[in-house]
Amino acid sequence: MSKQVPETIKKQSKRSFNSKEVKKEKNEKRMKLLKEIQTKAFKRAEKYEKEYLEQEQKLVELKQKALKEGSFYREPEPKLAFIIRIRGIVGVPPKPRKILQLLRLRRIYSGVFIRLNKSSLRMLHFIDPYVTWGYPDVETVRALIYKRGHARVNHQRKIIDSNEMIYDKLQKYDIVCMEDLVHEIFTVGKNFKHANSFLWAFKLKPPVGGFSTVKKSFVNKGEHGNREQYINTLVKKMI
Amino acid sequence: MTTQQLRPIVSVFPIKGKVKTIKQVPLPSVFSAPIRPDVVRFVHTNMAKNNRQAHAVSTTAGEQTSATSWGTGRAVARIPRVKGSGTGRSGQAAFGNMCRGGRMYAPKKVWRKWHRKINTNQKRYAVCSAIAATAVTPLVMSRGHRVNKLPELPLVVSDQLQSLTKTRQAVKFLKFIGAYRDVEKVIRTKKTRVGQGKYRNRRHVLRKGPMVVYARNLGIKKAFRNIPGVETASVYTLNLLKLAPGSQMGRFIIWTESAFKLLEDIYGSWEKPSKFKSGFYLPRPVMVNTDVERIIKSDQVQTVLRNRRPRSRKYGKKIQRADPYEDMSVMVKLNPYYKTKLQKQKELDEKNKKERKEIVDKSRKEYEDWLYFSEEEEEEEEEGSDEDREIEVLSDEN
Repeated sequence: MSKQVPETIKKQSKRSFNSKEVKKEKNEKRMKLLKEIQTKAFKRAEKYEKEYLEQEQKLVELKQKALKEGSFYREPEPKLAFIIRIRGIVGVPPKPRKILQLLRLRRIYSGVFIRLNKSSLRMLHFIDPYVTWGYPDVETVRALIYKRGHARVNHQRKIIDSNEMIYDKLQKYDIVCMEDLVHEIFTVGKNFKHANSFLWAFKLKPPVGGFSTVKKSFVNKGEHGNREQYINTLVKKMI
Repeated sequence: MTTQQLRPIVSVFPIKGKVKTIKQVPLPSVFSAPIRPDVVRFVHTNMAKNNRQAHAVSTTAGEQTSATSWGTGRAVARIPRVKGSGTGRSGQAAFGNMCRGGRMYAPKKVWRKWHRKINTNQKRYAVCSAIAATAVTPLVMSRGHRVNKLPELPLVVSDQLQSLTKTRQAVKFLKFIGAYRDVEKVIRTKKTRVGQGKYRNRRHVLRKGPMVVYARNLGIKKAFRNIPGVETASVYTLNLLKLAPGSQMGRFIIWTESAFKLLEDIYGSWEKPSKFKSGFYLPRPVMVNTDVERIIKSDQVQTVLRNRRPRSRKYGKKIQRADPYEDMSVMVKLNPYYKTKLQKQKELDEKNKKERKEIVDKSRKEYEDWLYFSEEEEEEEEEGSDEDREIEVLSDEN
């Protein structure tokens, strides 16, 4: 009895997208793309380092100048905030509950970036007792995205393990690598929304050394509410 | 259904002489109707009820006593008991369905619903299915007909068959065409009926043999009438109970040529309605092409599925990755500039360190120099007296 290959299998192997040549070509293309992405990543990272440094120096300059003239330099209001939910889900009234849901803070010690404008400040006002927030610096943003950054890929939470992942999703917003992402978040660029929604809400650990009392606001020696630049030290303890 | 339907061709055979094709006719569309055993079963079970005769139990059966219950206190059950004495019957239980000689539970009534109404379209659907099944050899064989020696199924025969008058001619024809084996089976398996029907004028049971379908009766009815198992039918009035006896599809049918051709007009097709059944089109199958595997594996479907495949299939598995702040290779993969950055930082730190060291050294040197010179000055000063030094003393005057 001769071996007969079913027609469907014959067809399947014959199909163009299954052939060895096509697969090889595809692989080559992909390798080339990866290389391109990495070179871009290098150049952009360099550019951004300079940019951050310049910004810092500029700030210092302006402050000193103002001091010399005897006036004040009013720093621009912060555009970016990092919010961490520090209370659990039990006994939360409906309005704060909804706002926390909208901000993707669905569990305790989850964190998100948010751009600060009148609307979002109003939202933060309602959820103050349940969160602590502040203005992160570059290193904090970097640490969060590198160490705890997960992407929302295919309705799944996947750790960002390569620039290819970022390229696939955010290429159309000119974000191709980690540093691009960090830059977009930190400087709240044009595509902040897309960069931020690409990131899954950060799942942080409870802080090393603990909290004092979450029931009180930070201003009152507690923990909740706006803590401005002290968010950076807190994130270091929670990351 | 395609607008231009390709219809296979069926051979027409003569009724005597040699078994060979004398003509070819296209297969009527009915034979491609969907074969629906469920529809046929439903219609058949209901249709079969329609030739029932009413029967019932006598209305007075079991009630023709004046029995009364004895009530309690007599150490007997409370069932009504026949009055009187002097006979065995007295004191016996009566009326109940559990009693001997009592009325049955829910006595049968003649006004029981004996017949069933079936939707016309359903009936037609079933008939179309049954006709289609008669062309499917495995179905006909599984029904039990002996069709091995037939030249073809569906078996179409010249119109001369309709003019046969003698039973001898009919039998000769059946033997000629190879259908007599089925008739032999019927004869062989004629038995006395099991059950009480045997003494109710239904003594013998016969199998079903071939069915001969004609367009015009020019003697054929009488010719085939006496052959056991063989039934004749006009193509205009095909009965489901005959086409699918016992709701089993696949009756062995011998068609005459004109009857066969008429099927196209009687049942219509999917494009053309029936000429005899107003507004009736052949039923449509749920799936036209039932080879699902083949459909899925076809080029047309595969290319579309290919395009729809989620692009991030490469992220299907859970990805494990070390902490970039602990594993340099992971950090460099994410940020290729990192190593350069560290290096630059290192250089900058060294540069600052060096500068700082220079400044510190310089100031230290200056201090030491100053110290050295001041020591010399002090030595010179020590030669003088203490009184020269002006010492401010707080006094009551100030």
